[in-house]
Amino acid sequence: MSAYLRALRLVNFRNYVDATALLAPGLNIVVGENAQGKTNLLEAIAFNVTGSSPRTPKENEVVRWGADFTRTEARVALDGSTDERSVAIGYAPGQKKRITVDGASATSLTEYAAGGAGARVVTFFPDDIRVVKGAPSDRREFLDALLSSLRPAYARAALEYAKAVAQRNQLLRRIRDGFSSGRTLATWDRKVVDLGKTVLAGREAALPVLEEHFKDSLRTLYGPEKAAIRYGYSATLEEYSEALREAHSADVERGTTSVGPHRDDFEVLLGGVNLTTFGSQGQQRLATLALKFAARDYVREAVGEDPILLFDDVMSELDERRREYLAGYFLESTQAVISTTNLEYFDDEVLRRTRIIRISGGSILETATDGVRK
Amino acid sequence: MATYARPVERLITELSKLPSIGPRSAQRIAFHVIRGKKEDAIGLAEALKEVKEKIKPCRRCFNLTEADECEICRDARRDRSVICVVEDPYDIGPIERTNEYRGLYHVLGGALSPLDGIEPEDLRIAELIERVRNEGTGELVIATNPNTTGEATALFIAQEVKDLPVRVTALASGLPVGGDLEYADEVTLGRAFAGRREL
Repeated sequence: MSAYLRALRLVNFRNYVDATALLAPGLNIVVGENAQGKTNLLEAIAFNVTGSSPRTPKENEVVRWGADFTRTEARVALDGSTDERSVAIGYAPGQKKRITVDGASATSLTEYAAGGAGARVVTFFPDDIRVVKGAPSDRREFLDALLSSLRPAYARAALEYAKAVAQRNQLLRRIRDGFSSGRTLATWDRKVVDLGKTVLAGREAALPVLEEHFKDSLRTLYGPEKAAIRYGYSATLEEYSEALREAHSADVERGTTSVGPHRDDFEVLLGGVNLTTFGSQGQQRLATLALKFAARDYVREAVGEDPILLFDDVMSELDERRREYLAGYFLESTQAVISTTNLEYFDDEVLRRTRIIRISGGSILETATDGVRK
Repeated sequence: MATYARPVERLITELSKLPSIGPRSAQRIAFHVIRGKKEDAIGLAEALKEVKEKIKPCRRCFNLTEADECEICRDARRDRSVICVVEDPYDIGPIERTNEYRGLYHVLGGALSPLDGIEPEDLRIAELIERVRNEGTGELVIATNPNTTGEATALFIAQEVKDLPVRVTALASGLPVGGDLEYADEVTLGRAFAGRREL
């Protein structure tokens, strides 16, 4: 059995002052009215397990209004045995996060994010529809986050690549504006290509595997139409160095690097149609879900463990047949924590096997194991 | 309106210009000085003055020295066919303490970084190439920092000297000695893998 969370304590996290959620393996349903803290609880789990918020890059937002720090603590049950790990994150805006695993400080955030907590997560927030609907950067972010959570070497390459591109861009502008002779441009090209190739190779290796899982998931969720993911290169591995060199004068003029994995995209296709441009809201939503399920399968294959599923308000826009399918899917997973305003979405048989966590105004009111509807 | 007497404010202001010292630390240090012995404070002031008046870059390698040339450059026992290239003078100390390296040094004074406006002309790269030509150097060991700017600087230097009869090497990056594999961070371990060697 894979790792799961037994308990999470939240101190000064979003609208929580100090609350503890007791979680069970299998399905956990967080229920409450709107704006009571359901999403925040899911976010806190991801924050604790990965070291950063899946919802916002402006992390000072997670600190409760008026408080100067936040702290989350989780107890992680490892491989179903009695073996337990306790992981905690303390964060005050402007300071480095204090991450501890069984009381010892973690060496780095990157390393912690790649499984340091002993568990991994796959999250779904309604806004994630932008992975299908939104800009290329949203799709790159999805891919990079998934690969970074599995391979610290990829995470570092992606980070260093972004830095090298920023340096090269600044150099291009300095050349354009007459502040630099450009003697070092070939050097920065080489540095950019070295790191960019690691990123590109990582994505190339992952995409066919991810695509297979995506096809399977979308077939179940949507129908028999042929789904595909197609990577859109600004330059392939073989052409990369050459393409970057050829772009020199255009890049100097624009002051940005026009070729490389930071400009790539992938198309999400259904029946040959690009869902980003032509998909309906419903198709985009189901394709997003299918991508998240594919990410789950990808993680499971890569590390041999199920990630914890954190799915926010996933039921409300689905029809009954799909809600039933999803409920079964979550019940069968090692651990899923999902949120809803409405327990009517689930039949009694499902609720009997579910832990229900009631939320109101940033308090966890009760945790019921019997799943009796009230 | 100043909270403290003017000389105290001045001291706090001067101290807070130092790296990694914020206004709070500056205030703490200032009051430590005020409470402490007069001789200690004057000793510190003189040390600051002396270091600015007497210390200058070595004319050969740009290490810090009181004389025209630094002690390392003057030491006849050093191997003059090898030059280790570092970013800053304080990078020399750790290498010297290994007692493994007996060659000379060259201090670049930083690393290439367009974002900080640092071009080859701002570093002592021309001087390095001049040395390689004049001193008949056989090997350059490039020991810039293992980050984006340090590695770009290493690549640039290698490129600049490629037509000269000099071997260019870089320090290996890898595992700390005496540790267990289990505790190595994954990035370091990944690099160590990439740079593995034949046994």
